[in-house]
Amino acid sequence: MDSESKNVQPDSIQRRLIASVLLSQSILTVGLMVIGVIVTYWRLLSTLDVAMQAHATSVAVLVRYTDDGSGHVYFDNSLLPESIDPNHPDQFMVWADRTGYLTRSEDWPEGLQFQPGPSQHWNFSWAGVPYHGVRMSHVPVLDRPDNASVKPQTLTIVYASPTVRIRQQVKAALAAITAASLLMLGATTWLASWKIRRGLLPLQILARQASLVSTQSWKLQPPKEAEDIEELRPLTESMTQMLARLEYSFKQQREFVGNAAHELKTPVAVLKSTLQSLLQRPRSSEEYRAGLQASLEDLERLEQLLEWMLRLARAEQWAQNGQQRELEIIDINSTCEEAVGRIRSLAQSRNTSIHLATNGPVLFRADPEDLQLVWTNLLENAVRYSPEGSSVEVAVARAGEKAQITFQDHGAGISPSDLPRIFDRFYRGDRSRTRATGGFGLGLAIVKALVEAYGGSIAAESTPGEGTRMTVELPIPGRKSSATG
Amino acid sequence: MRVLVVEDEIRLAENVARSLRESAGYAVDVASDGQEGLFLAESNTYDVVLLDLMLPKLDGMELLGRIRQSGQRTPVLVLTARDDKESVIALLNAGADDYLTKPFDLGELLARTKALIRRGKGQASPVVTIGDLELNTVNRTVQRGGKAITLTAMEYRVLEYLVHRPRAVVSKTELLEHLYDYNWEKFSNVIEVYISGLRRKLNEGSSRQLIRTLRGQGYMLQD
Repeated sequence: MDSESKNVQPDSIQRRLIASVLLSQSILTVGLMVIGVIVTYWRLLSTLDVAMQAHATSVAVLVRYTDDGSGHVYFDNSLLPESIDPNHPDQFMVWADRTGYLTRSEDWPEGLQFQPGPSQHWNFSWAGVPYHGVRMSHVPVLDRPDNASVKPQTLTIVYASPTVRIRQQVKAALAAITAASLLMLGATTWLASWKIRRGLLPLQILARQASLVSTQSWKLQPPKEAEDIEELRPLTESMTQMLARLEYSFKQQREFVGNAAHELKTPVAVLKSTLQSLLQRPRSSEEYRAGLQASLEDLERLEQLLEWMLRLARAEQWAQNGQQRELEIIDINSTCEEAVGRIRSLAQSRNTSIHLATNGPVLFRADPEDLQLVWTNLLENAVRYSPEGSSVEVAVARAGEKAQITFQDHGAGISPSDLPRIFDRFYRGDRSRTRATGGFGLGLAIVKALVEAYGGSIAAESTPGEGTRMTVELPIPGRKSSATG
Repeated sequence: MRVLVVEDEIRLAENVARSLRESAGYAVDVASDGQEGLFLAESNTYDVVLLDLMLPKLDGMELLGRIRQSGQRTPVLVLTARDDKESVIALLNAGADDYLTKPFDLGELLARTKALIRRGKGQASPVVTIGDLELNTVNRTVQRGGKAITLTAMEYRVLEYLVHRPRAVVSKTELLEHLYDYNWEKFSNVIEVYISGLRRKLNEGSSRQLIRTLRGQGYMLQD
């Protein structure tokens, strides 16, 4: 199969267009030739007819009445008209209605029986020579009889003329038409293929531009030639859009890898320096113990970071592919209560109170662990960034087809410049503070990915000095019966 | 020699400081954020600054810019997690003298620090000679006339500093500033004790005095 398909030339729009142009041109040419020949033949034949009628009339002129007053006629062959074609003599035969057969041409083909029939025109061939014949009936004898009482006779004249010359003329015309047509066909084909090639040039330019796109330069410069073409515009537009999307996700991926590498390097650097400085000189067993203890702590932090990164990767994968897990319907309130319970000891140590306001069960299809992780993260942030002795309010409510969960703290707030970036991976507004709290800048990124994995959204509002409000909205399919409050 | 380490990862800073103290005998100050680093760099004279780039409060690049703007010629070794060309070029162009990417080797850090101090003092060779005195900064040994001289750690530090500023008058204050870190109480009479100890050990079997005392001004090392 493969070897076969390799030998087949790839299909080409250019070749297809040229072939269809060539085909229609050929049909046109042949049609023109046929029509030309028919028209020429017909015109020549009718000219011949007219000439033959004239000749037949001049034959009729030669019929005279006899002087005996009997009313019979005779043929005076002293003034025979010339043949239409000097090379091929015409044939004729004349009858009179009363006298009967009068005369015929000298070399009337012997044995050619001619019965005057109903047809006016006919074609026949004699001794290899094609003839066209015409029969004229009721031709009056032009001569007047001496005896006025005699009833004038009428004549039937058969006149035939060879069509050799017509055939030659038709052949010559055919040759001329063919030559001209072929010439025109060649010219138009060349012109059409040139125009088609030129017409398809923007496609090639576009392809060349597209081949310049790489991970280093994502910009596709659609050539002006391609942009001006109606058929290519959707293509260039969708290509530009696709490249923009690709570039975005590529950059995001690269940024994540860069950030992850950076985040991993620091704990590794700490660990390495601790172990190296331990080995620089002999130490007391207390020093070794302290060093090992420190190394273990650093390793645990590294492990924690890896754990968070994996969680984020998993959440983002769900968000992209949609969750394909069997999920049970749970009450959002109970997951919030669970999260508040998890944060309680931290809140107590900071003397912060957490108020949870609920208004009847809000049912949602989810893995309770996921929701608890989201609430715990948001609560932990709220508690950590609140001054000691303040409070954090959590509210769960249904708003139409959405569940709305808000977290309000009364901390320092987030500066407007940081606010748009807090959901970015590894973003930390103030490093010194997050470092002290052991954060990696991944918590909110994971929260966002998880919320989006459930088709929801998260938004942050903050007033510096007054506090921050995080609002999570989760879509609840509109089955009113499920929320019997 | 006195070194400033600006690094917010406290454990890393401590390890680096310990290594510099133990293996090179340098006085080391540690700053854990950019503002503290800038304050220390402006209020003291260091022989080299080791600078992390991602710092709280004041970014490492900005700190570097401020140090260079104020006209300080102190060599700066940048510790960075990013080793892509763009950021390396950017930091060298901002006035850094060298860089090390994390995670780094403490031995390499030490060697680069020593090299930067050397260059900062106008020296090329790690073995400095003044007349018949020879001081090896790599394995911290001193010879005079081919004879090894054993010095205490503090005596070595005083001599190392003087050797790097040959034929220049070095005041007691300057010596104190470069031999002790921020947390030490500085007593100028301690310097006199070390100088006299040095003189005694260096002059064994030699009549020529290497360290001259200029009354009211300080000391001068000459051949």
